[in-house]
Amino acid sequence: MSAPVLQVKNLTKSFKGVVALNDVSFEVRRHEVVGLIGENGAGKSTLLKILSGIYQPDSGEILRNGKKIVFRTVKESAAAGIGMVHQEQSLVTSVTVAENILLGAEGDAVVGGIYNWKVLNRKAQKQLDKIGSPISPTAGVEDLTFAQRQMVELAKALGVEEYTADEPVIVLDEPSSVLEGDELEVLFAQIDRLRQIASVVFVSHRLDEVLRVSDRVYILKDGVCVAERNPETADTDELHRLMVGRESSAEFYREGDQKSVVGADVLLKVDGLSRQKAFSDVSFDVRKGEVVGIAGVLGSGREELTRVLFGAEGCDSGTILLDGTSVRFSSPVGAVAAGFGYIPAERRIEGIAQSMSVQENIFLADSRPVSVGPFMMVNKARQVADEWISRLRIRTPSRNTNINNLSGGNQQKVVLAKWLNSPRLKVLILDHPTRGLDVGAKEDVYTFIRALCDQGIGIVLLADTLEETIALSHSIIVMRDGEIQRRFDAAPGQKPLPVDLVEQMV
Amino acid sequence: MTQTLLTSSPRVIEQIDWKGRAVSILPLAVLVVLVLIVTSQQPNFVGIASVRGLLESMAPILLLALGQMFVILTGGIDLSFAVTASFGTVLLALWIPELGALGVLAMLATTTLIGLINGFVIAKAQIPSFIATLGALGLYSGLGLAISGASTIRISTGYEAIGWITDLRVAQLPLSALLVIVVAIVISVAMRVLASGKSFHAIGLAEKALLMSGGSTVRIRILAFTLCGLFSGLAGVMLAASQRSGGPTLADSLQLPAIAAVVIGGTAITGGVGGAIKTLIGALIIVMLRVGLSAVGVDPSFEQIVYGVVIIAAVVLTIDRSRIGVVK
Amino acid sequence: MTSSPPSLGASVSVSPGVRIKRMLLGGGPLVVLLLLLIFFTFASDTFANPGNISVLLTQLSILLVLGVGLTFVILLGSIDLSAEGVMASSSLVFVLLATNDRNDFQFGILAALAGVLTGSLFGLVNGILHVRLGIPSFMVTLGMGAVGIGIATVLFGGRAPQLLDQGLRSLGVDKVFGVSKLVFLAALVLVIAVLIQRYTRVGRYGYVIGGDEPIARLSGINIKKYKIYSFVLSGTGSGLAGVMAATQLGVGDPTIGLGFLFPAITAVVLGGTLLIGGRGGVLRTLVGAAIITVLANGLILIGVSIYIQTAVQGLVIVIAVVASGWSLRRRVRVIK
Repeated sequence: MSAPVLQVKNLTKSFKGVVALNDVSFEVRRHEVVGLIGENGAGKSTLLKILSGIYQPDSGEILRNGKKIVFRTVKESAAAGIGMVHQEQSLVTSVTVAENILLGAEGDAVVGGIYNWKVLNRKAQKQLDKIGSPISPTAGVEDLTFAQRQMVELAKALGVEEYTADEPVIVLDEPSSVLEGDELEVLFAQIDRLRQIASVVFVSHRLDEVLRVSDRVYILKDGVCVAERNPETADTDELHRLMVGRESSAEFYREGDQKSVVGADVLLKVDGLSRQKAFSDVSFDVRKGEVVGIAGVLGSGREELTRVLFGAEGCDSGTILLDGTSVRFSSPVGAVAAGFGYIPAERRIEGIAQSMSVQENIFLADSRPVSVGPFMMVNKARQVADEWISRLRIRTPSRNTNINNLSGGNQQKVVLAKWLNSPRLKVLILDHPTRGLDVGAKEDVYTFIRALCDQGIGIVLLADTLEETIALSHSIIVMRDGEIQRRFDAAPGQKPLPVDLVEQMV
Repeated sequence: MTQTLLTSSPRVIEQIDWKGRAVSILPLAVLVVLVLIVTSQQPNFVGIASVRGLLESMAPILLLALGQMFVILTGGIDLSFAVTASFGTVLLALWIPELGALGVLAMLATTTLIGLINGFVIAKAQIPSFIATLGALGLYSGLGLAISGASTIRISTGYEAIGWITDLRVAQLPLSALLVIVVAIVISVAMRVLASGKSFHAIGLAEKALLMSGGSTVRIRILAFTLCGLFSGLAGVMLAASQRSGGPTLADSLQLPAIAAVVIGGTAITGGVGGAIKTLIGALIIVMLRVGLSAVGVDPSFEQIVYGVVIIAAVVLTIDRSRIGVVK
Repeated sequence: MTSSPPSLGASVSVSPGVRIKRMLLGGGPLVVLLLLLIFFTFASDTFANPGNISVLLTQLSILLVLGVGLTFVILLGSIDLSAEGVMASSSLVFVLLATNDRNDFQFGILAALAGVLTGSLFGLVNGILHVRLGIPSFMVTLGMGAVGIGIATVLFGGRAPQLLDQGLRSLGVDKVFGVSKLVFLAALVLVIAVLIQRYTRVGRYGYVIGGDEPIARLSGINIKKYKIYSFVLSGTGSGLAGVMAATQLGVGDPTIGLGFLFPAITAVVLGGTLLIGGRGGVLRTLVGAAIITVLANGLILIGVSIYIQTAVQGLVIVIAVVASGWSLRRRVRVIK
């Protein structure tokens, strides 16, 4: 048997000490559709970015037809015959289909900087013909539907064929997430067609789809390739277990500190909340001292839900009751004034105020505890800042240090301090609070979450992994396609299993 | 807070930002060098008369620069500020004969309103400030030219209301210019002691983080442009007083020197870094530059070239490249 | 999509809202132009005279050349505010190298070329400073505009040099078929610009970079190079505009470009080129420039102050950018 068309060997990649990919190996054989599945944060996107030349691996190698290849740019990856269809669409809407398909690779359609439109359109047509698409190369991309644009992306990805004598490898990153119904069928028909002329890597979190189109499936978990399965013998249950199965440690998550909230007052009552194209008719309660975990895959609407709660997005209908009074926010300004806090997933952009000092960050949300009227009590502010630094064990040379110089974990603690410092805080929304943190810093965050509960603060949690969700939450809501699929009680000792959740998620 | 054992995190070592420090000291060094050069060429420069002249020419530039500073701190720019000042002088010349001191207030209210509208449009419609204020520049220069008939209007009746600005002296120095310096110091102190004093900086450095912490970026941004309008009006009053007239293009030539004063003082065009004292130093450099150039025998016609080059060089030195993605 | 078996047709369905917006962007300005022409024909006795039409076309020519150059930069989402300074420098370089009353140079057409290339050089410097040093374009071009005025002031030396080369002078004052020669020059520039936009990498990649710079970068396009080229095109337009103005007035003057920048930007925007980049084109700028010229000429004929027009142009810029950016508003967004 000839060498696989694409082989990844012992790939390792870490970011600032956090391992994203650990010794990952897999192979793609000729005319094969290989499925790649894993939870958010399992390392899929890092792996794809290495394959497309955006990231360089720390170690390990990539073989194409048995020969080692190295690429440092997207172009070099394309030259090796690897074509990408990205999750976020990567077409320029202001130019034509043909220009997009051949962007940066016009070849003899542009001679000496001069366009020959006939040649360009003909070359684009050739790519479109490969997938049997009736879209005209001269059409403007802005006039196409999402599904049509995806076909153009596919045609563009197939363009890498022109660089190599060999058949291309096409990587489809979550191609089905924006499609529905018949559009999905078209995609599957396309993948079947691609199988004749190329090899395909299909990345998705919709397990039934992966099982349906793939010849083999690899499962990634925590940056490790944990298993390889044959779809004909594997079922979704088994894949679920492989994706999330892990020895969860009750101690690690401070489960012992979880206190019952039965009988506690309802702090936040969300009733029938809807936002077009994001989620609909979402209702749940958060009691004082309760952690409500929301589980769901990308596109489940849970991110949008938390942003609506915080006033960063608007909603179409439904009510939010905080302490029994109805609230409606036109921006986060109102939400914070009412007692909401938010720890965003994008810590560097939305969490910390970059280039400002630790102290300035601590008082970013509320400086009233250290001011009299409009004036800042300089000495008191210093004293309070130092208190937070020691209480949260923030590793910083001083309160005046530029926050950019702190590690991710310590930055996150400053963000926590920012909200803890506000006496009006009632509900804290945690959006991936441990993303990118090392194990020690994660443990610290868990400790703080328990402590917050003891103070009677309600917490809405979007966790990094299912274990985290299960272990930290008092109750869990599973969302799917914008609707609440099921609720789980998660009192200590009666925690649901990750598999139970996954079944509802996908 | 429970005192559970917290595991250790990587140790942090204070990194000294040498480049940042050098850039922050540079303006003062430049100023000192300029003063040394000029005094060596013209020993009588330290005399009271030339210091007075220096302060008088600096005052309107500093006022304009202080207003612009608020906007630049938020990461934006107001290209209409000098034209607003010119427009203000025209209004002043038209109103002061009948309204007297009240006319001054009415004019300041108008320029402040102009700033408010600029800020409102930019913050609410979320459009780039340079293009919105470029439009405003056209609008108010056209209006100023139209209502003045494109000519200078002498102020005679009612000049008393603003005459003190040029006449009053303290230790032979113009009181008005000294007051402007005091204003700069007050702003600087206010930014330190007020609880919301760092709000302009915070928008410029981390608008999203401020928003997601419940800060009202809309209000702060509008405030910045409003202050810019107010200070443009004050600069207009000062110019009208010293020229004894209002003119539709009276302050236009100060646009570049005033922006240059802000950036050369060390306020980054990307926003978030800078302050009133830096702007004061910047304004002093700009006026010293003019004096210095003639002291070393450079033809005054080179002045514009120097401003252009200085402004670009200052921007290059102060810009924070790590924080700008796509530069347009 | 309900067709079965599933297929994705090329049938392009566009929502009504998008269609109206598209129409306003596309045909709207042309309709405005026609309405203005009809209005002024009836409102003023002299507007539709052959003489006035010739004046109109002459007024249009310099504005068009300037606007066409500017279009390439605005398509990137950048801006070029240096036009007035560049025109000043190029007019003086041109006049001082052609036959003039200041020195003995007699380079003729080469002098005109030198004037134009002065503009290209400014564009090159603008582009390099903007792209290589990462300075926002408005800042670079504001500074370089001042440098341009400064260089012109130095060359000017207190008295305007007169252009004595009769051949070149005739370009600005003489007419062919009742129309100034400048009009034919501007038409030629427009044709070249359309060809550049349609058939060259600079032109096509301008749309790509202005439309989505990160994708352009991922596609391996040398963004810096093509941005610099676009600035060179804009500078060249300004340079040529300066030379044209000098042939018309017969002098080189630091203030020769005064009052041109504003109408030029307005012309580009009015034509339907978006200030955020990616959409528009030089033919649209022709329509925009024509609207500005007709408006300026017509309003004077019916007795409206020319200064009010500057005010209106300013308002138009603000309204255009508010309108085109309105749908992009978000609650959490960084504005600069």
